Amino acid sequence: MAIAALTHLTYWYPGGAKPALSDVCLQIDEGLTVVAGPSGGGKSTLLRIFNGLVPHFHGGRIGGSAEVMGLNVIATPTRKMARHVGFVFQDPELQTVYNVVDREVAFGLENTGVPRRQISGRVEEALHAAGVGALVGRAVRTLSGGERQRVALASALAMRPSLVVLDEPTSQLDPEGAQTVLAAATNLVDEGTSVIISEHRLGHLLRRAGGLVLVDRGIVTGADPSTWIPPAPPVRPARSAALGGEAWSLQRVSAGFDGRLVLEGVNLSGRSGEVVALTGPNGGGKTTLLRVIAGSLAPLFGSVWRCRGRVAYLPQNPSVLLHRPTVRDEVSFTLKRSGELERPGTILEGLGLLPVADRYPRDLSCGERQRAALAAVLPGDPALVLLDEPTRGIDSTARGALVVLVARLRDRGASVVLATHDDDLRNALADRVINVRDGKVSEATFAGRT
Amino acid sequence: MNARAVAAWSACSLFIILSTTSPVYKLMVLAAAVSVLAAGAGLRRIRALLVAVLFIGAFATLLNFVSAHLGATVLFALPAQIPALGGPYTLEAMVFGAVGGITIAAAILSAAPLSLLLDSHEVMDALPAPLSRTGVAIAASLNLVPAVVTSYIQVTDAQRLRGWKPRGPRSLMEVVVPVVLTSVEGSIQLAESMEARGFGSGARTTMASRAFRRSDWLVVAASGVALVAFAGSHATGSAGDWFPYPTLTLPTIHPVPTAGCLLLLAPVIVWRSRR
Repeated sequence: MAIAALTHLTYWYPGGAKPALSDVCLQIDEGLTVVAGPSGGGKSTLLRIFNGLVPHFHGGRIGGSAEVMGLNVIATPTRKMARHVGFVFQDPELQTVYNVVDREVAFGLENTGVPRRQISGRVEEALHAAGVGALVGRAVRTLSGGERQRVALASALAMRPSLVVLDEPTSQLDPEGAQTVLAAATNLVDEGTSVIISEHRLGHLLRRAGGLVLVDRGIVTGADPSTWIPPAPPVRPARSAALGGEAWSLQRVSAGFDGRLVLEGVNLSGRSGEVVALTGPNGGGKTTLLRVIAGSLAPLFGSVWRCRGRVAYLPQNPSVLLHRPTVRDEVSFTLKRSGELERPGTILEGLGLLPVADRYPRDLSCGERQRAALAAVLPGDPALVLLDEPTRGIDSTARGALVVLVARLRDRGASVVLATHDDDLRNALADRVINVRDGKVSEATFAGRT
Repeated sequence: MNARAVAAWSACSLFIILSTTSPVYKLMVLAAAVSVLAAGAGLRRIRALLVAVLFIGAFATLLNFVSAHLGATVLFALPAQIPALGGPYTLEAMVFGAVGGITIAAAILSAAPLSLLLDSHEVMDALPAPLSRTGVAIAASLNLVPAVVTSYIQVTDAQRLRGWKPRGPRSLMEVVVPVVLTSVEGSIQLAESMEARGFGSGARTTMASRAFRRSDWLVVAASGVALVAFAGSHATGSAGDWFPYPTLTLPTIHPVPTAGCLLLLAPVIVWRSRR
């Protein structure tokens, strides 16, 4: 049975010259539907149609019709749609209103005037359905990323929606956290709730999916999930230069902030032309380790040594880098500061950013922003390349381009350190894998080693 | 403690601080506020606040001392030709500045229990229905404060590694702009999330309000009596206004307003009796 039907739907964001979605004709049936496609293609926009955030929250122009759970989306405000459609966003930190778990889950119920005597029961029911029943009463700030995202799922479920929409809910989670969120989402389908999910980790989901929707440059097409072949992982580029001497080293380093010790007694080093991948759970200390190597965070104990030359550092949140009027300006800014002569177009072309080179970086989609941030830090010849979750939100094509770019820097003698949950990236680039857990580091066995 | 009881205590304390000119009663309220915060939150948690308040108080004292060249007791004098700073420096101006500092410090510490001793949802639950939506919006925006701090650290880290150095106001824009834009984007995403969960769809309910217990009534009653005692003393003139100019005099102390100030220690007694 159809739960949603879009008919000749076209949507323009405010001020947009081209439509973000173009003449979409789509029917979504009950069960699990997966939405896939390249970053910047329109997946998030399509998902926001299902609860009316597009067009009611974002504005813009819309044509055609959209009906979800029997409601005319264009005529029904999102706050009314919320009773029927739950929505989980990418970033677990930016969807928290209250600071205690059960109050957070109750937020939607309070908004819709559910009587007080019913709220506790429904909160408990939703937390159990999301697999986090034990978190009642916990402060939200004490939760891991995976727990937070499942609390967000519980917040959507508390409204007892017939449809739950998830927009790349695992993009910021470690594999364990991601697995728990995806398992909770697929369990909902078993219990009769329809789920639409946009996700880059497609393997597990496609086996369960009843429908597959592909979105690319605003064009939406349906496909059969049982026969559709997801893009292949990037190929490991051949090495054209041997490893050089030591490029950085940490001796008995302990580091932390806010009175909390995050790294303890770390001994680690990297060589020129070497790619070291840091793995481990969220909160294990990977970002702190990168900051110490970069020199942004001074160690509390121990010593850090770095070779001379520029440090290229991609932070976990790419937006914090972007402040210039265009993507091209971001690249020029770094090149000018470092005194290097490379043309901005070189890296923009390499990362597939030429079509958006003259756009304002913050107007780009999540994946395009990530690529813009990569372009902003990686031009020229940095001596040390430190990338914190560089494939967050980017599609397989962009991931392939990143692999080529990092391999090129490696072969020119850069020492590369990647903090990543992405197995494909690690397999394509890493010479060594270091597991960072509870502030301690250990060398991991790694099949991709050459 | 129930948020409404804490609010009643804060309101009464603020009334006393702002209605009297006597440094004695202001100091009494200041002492009561420090005691309440120390008993409720612990000295360690309020240390930074106390340092900030001390700094503000010292600044107010200094400002009046150097800018108000009034009073009979001259401590020293700078040549009148020095712009702004020239003239006599008096004991009266220093004391008047100190009293201003005490007023600001006491007012801040009297309002502090609302944020230090209560969770934001407890404050929201205590708001009357017409203010509840505004309260939710404020609480939600307060939740973004840690994210702003984090983004400031990330931005300065990232821009330093791209060659940024703090050189005057223009260079600061390279940090300020991304921090502001990231914060605004965070607010928009939070607003989107709230909308998607039905915020603004009609009359709200709340999951639970903390019950009003006997101890809460005790604090409200003590605050109410303190307020009446102080207002009455003020009306009858027994609370006595005080002004340091032209010559410094000692403020008078009367038993009724003093007792009113001492009643502000009721929350301390409540917390101590529970342990």
